[in-house]
Formats: sequence, structure tokens, C-alpha cells
Amino acid sequence: MISLNINGRDYSVQAPDDMPLLWVLRDLLNLKGTKFGCGIAQCGACTVHVDGRPVRSCMLPAANVGPREVTTIEAIGQKDSGRRIQQAWLELEVVQCGYCQSGQIMAAAALIERNPAPDDAEIDAAMAGNICRCATYARIRAAIKSASRK
Amino acid sequence: MKRILVAVCALGVVIAIVAACFFFWPASIEAVQATQAQPTGYALVAKGEYLTKAADCVACHTAPGGQPFAGGRAFRLPFGTIYSSNITPDGETGIGRWSDAEFVRAVHRGIGKNGEDLYPAFPYTAYALLSTDDVLAIRAYLSTVRPVSLRNTDNTLVFPFNQRYSLRAWKLLFVPTRPWEPSTAHDAPWNRGAYLAEALAHCGECHTPRNLMFATKRGRKYAGAVVDGWKAYNITSDRESGIGAWSDADIAQYLSSGHAPARGSAGGGMGEAIDLSLRHLSSEDIAALTRYLRSIPAQPSELAVRIDHHPATLNRATAWSPGPDRNESIGFQIFASACASCHGWDGAGQQTEHAEFLGSPAVNDPSGVNLVRVVLEGVKIGSHRGDNLMPSFAAAYSDAEIAAVSNYVIGHFGGKQGKVTAADVRAARN
Repeated sequence: MISLNINGRDYSVQAPDDMPLLWVLRDLLNLKGTKFGCGIAQCGACTVHVDGRPVRSCMLPAANVGPREVTTIEAIGQKDSGRRIQQAWLELEVVQCGYCQSGQIMAAAALIERNPAPDDAEIDAAMAGNICRCATYARIRAAIKSASRK
Repeated sequence: MKRILVAVCALGVVIAIVAACFFFWPASIEAVQATQAQPTGYALVAKGEYLTKAADCVACHTAPGGQPFAGGRAFRLPFGTIYSSNITPDGETGIGRWSDAEFVRAVHRGIGKNGEDLYPAFPYTAYALLSTDDVLAIRAYLSTVRPVSLRNTDNTLVFPFNQRYSLRAWKLLFVPTRPWEPSTAHDAPWNRGAYLAEALAHCGECHTPRNLMFATKRGRKYAGAVVDGWKAYNITSDRESGIGAWSDADIAQYLSSGHAPARGSAGGGMGEAIDLSLRHLSSEDIAALTRYLRSIPAQPSELAVRIDHHPATLNRATAWSPGPDRNESIGFQIFASACASCHGWDGAGQQTEHAEFLGSPAVNDPSGVNLVRVVLEGVKIGSHRGDNLMPSFAAAYSDAEIAAVSNYVIGHFGGKQGKVTAADVRAARN
């Protein structure tokens, strides 16, 4: 039995100790906003927050989370940083196919939460691990700047 | 004159007969019996399972992707390749038909079922120190694992190394003849730690440098050596290149999890030893091992790595930004896109504690020997909270790209000029 705090709610799940957090979220708790991309922490689609830090849930065993707080795309809009990012995403129409975007939003929200006014280089350094096949990178950067001004 | 000639010839014949007996006389075998203290039934098997883990038998006796204990793992040496054997209880191909006496003789003296001398890739130089009770317990456990029918692969050693009888001379020089005797100069935990390190965990097989005859140098115990292309660092109490500056808690945490704060994370052979063996030891045994390691006299090491715990390159770095230490190099770009999401930019590690770079010898070594191997092969160390994983990047990047990202890591997180070349990476792939 693994105890998890996800989006402010306590869960107990029956899962093997090495089951990745991503599988617990999607398959056991039906929180399907977080996406499976590469499975080896190389694309960023599965990004969630653990105590505010962006981590790759595909490579993080759920049992490794312990008492730390997990936030997923389903609840990021309840945080000020997440709300501003999501609003900017809509205003600039960042999304194309959308598959990577929950991971992009989680990484972007973690960035402006910790660095309220990132410059281009800081955005690139923080977001480089989140891949977008539609190449929405220019709009992602613009939206992060727009959100950080609000 | 004639008399002298006869005497010399006679002496020659005697020496030849003695040598022939020494090398070719069939190996003796002694009956074995456990002491009164040996448990029976389930308790014996449980004891044997613990000892089998402490001796890390499974690491060498399992081929990559193969069945546990079925053997077939290749050991590539300068003079050919040796394959580990099947030690499952299968009657035809394993050790199911071995007697207990034959098993004990193999573990203590490096002699196979048919009296043949076994190569010391099987570390009987250490296992010779095991008590007979412990060897019999290991035997009892191995009798309970799943039998696998898998024929042993023939070794491909070149002459003269394929002449097994020559090992008898080597053994005479380098294999202890008696099991471990506790030292009265030390208390029980120290003695337990010594037994664990010397007889079971065989730490010295990797961490002690070897002489020209490929035996460990007694006067250089645990001073560090290069094994299979990895640096197995100095683990004596030397403060600079060894573990003299580590706290007891650091050593214990490293041995039981593969990581200690600001001390680096295990990979390669040490990662494997922790994953398969050391993390399964009781906290008392880890404390005993720590106690014993602490008592090893300090030795300097040619593998010394100067660790910069506060490199200037990290002065204004944060988890999400490298600070001013950035450039447009390929190494920087690869780190940003492939590494930073788990490792972060400030050395503290982001995904798990194992992703920390601060204090890591691997990223403070300008040659990048261990770093390149970790990037190529990845890491997997289990824990009771699931695996700590780093994927392999061997197929994802070219030699030049892996050299570039290694040099960026050594520069940013170690504060040093990395010297990794594409040729180094190519050599490390093989």
C-alpha cells in the first residue's frame, strides 16, 4: 500500500513499490491529464510537481514520493503561477496538437513560481527538456514572458 | 665428474617427479560437517539466502538478461574470456549432483567437481575465509533456487593460461589456507565487519590494486584500482582520496542505498554491488562494515580526485538555471535538453537524491572515466521505495556528443577543465 498526497488529497493505492508515479496517476487514479511520452525522462510530457519541483513521473517510483505533495495538471490552475501560465497559453494559442502541453505547462509554472521574471536564456535552460513535435517553442517562450508580467 | 652428472640427473628427476605430483596429483577432498550451531530447515535456507546476497554470488553467476544463478556472464581478460558457471540445482548442467564436500572444496579452494582448478575470477581468495557452516548454508540456499538447464560456456583463454594445473602454483602463493579467525585485539562489531568485507563482500577484489601476477597487493589494501575500465576508488581512511572525511552516516547510507549527500552516487560495478548485495544487509551489518572500513590504514592513491565542493561555476546557479556559466556549446545544449530535467543546474539533483552532482568523484575527475561509462550505460539501483534509474544514452548520442556533454558536466559541476575526447568514448563503448 502506497500513501500519496496528490492535488491536496490523500490517496492510498495498491501498487508495487517500483510502479512509476505516472502509472499510478493515469491507470489507478484516473488522472489522465499527465501524458506518457518516452518513458525514460527524455521528453517532459509526464512532468508533475513534487513539492513544487518539476519531476518526470515516468521515471519516479510512486513509493519514492513519500509524504511530499504531488501536483498534476488537473490542479495546477489552482495555484497563482499555474493560473497565469494557463491564461497566457490560451491568450497566445500556444497549443497545436497538445500532447506535450500538460508537461510544458507544468515545467513553465514551476519556472515562474521560482523565478518570477525569467529571461530568454533562463527559459531555454528550464524548458529545454520538454520536447514539442509541433515546435511551438516560440509561442511557449512568449507565453511564459506574458505570464511572468502579470 | 661422472658422479656429479649422475647426482644432477637424479636431482632433476626428483624435482620433476615432485613438480608433476604437485601439479597433476588428483585434488584431495575432505568430508565436511556443520557445527552444532548451524540451524536447520527453513532457518538454514534463510541464513544461506542472506549470505548468498552478502557474497553477491548472483552478480557474476547471471548473464545479462539471463536466469538468476544460471551463469554465462562473460569476463573479458587480456588473455581471453572466462564464463561464469551455472550454480542452479539443475542435475545435468548445474550443481545439483555436487556433494556438499565438493561444493565446500570449490568455494574454499577453487577446485571443481572433477578436481580441476578453477580460475580466480571466482573470488575464492576471499571465500577461503568463509566458515564451513556459512558455505554449507549458501549451498542449502542454492539448492532451493529454480533449476535452470543451461550448459556452461567454454572459456576461450590462450596458452599458457588455458592450462588449469598452473593455477596450483598461483594458489599456493595467494589463497588463504584457513577460514577467518576473529582478532582478539578488536571487538565483535569490528570482527563482523572484517568478515563481511574480506570473506563475503570481497571488496578488495575491485578496490585493491593487483600485482604482475594478477593477485591483490597485500600492502595496498583498498587503495583503489581500475576494474573493467571503471575507477574503483580508494576506500581507505585517507582524507584526500579515500573516505577518511566521510562520516559514519555517510558510509552507511552510501553502502545501503548507493548515495550519500555530497558524496556522489554509485554506478557501474559498485552500483551493481549495492543493488544486488549491500542494500540487503541488516543495519547492524552495515554498521559493522562501516566500523571495519574506518580502521583500514590510510593509503595514498594514484586515482585521487580533487573534489571541489563549491566550484565558482555554480555560484549563481539555481535548480532551473545555470547562472552565468552558460555557452552555446554542443555539451551545454545536450545537458539542457537531456540531463537538466532530472539533475537540475545547481548540482543538488532534482528527480531523486541520486541525481545530485555535488561532491561526486565522477564529475570532479577531468578524465571523466566513470562519468562517460554512466552516461553510456545508465544506472539502476533498487530500494525499498522502488528503483533509482538513469537511462542509457549510448544509442542516443555520438562519441563526440557524449564527450562534449561530459566535459560540460565536469566544467560546470566540478569546476574543472574536462579532458574527455571522442576517442575515449569510443574506447569506453567496447
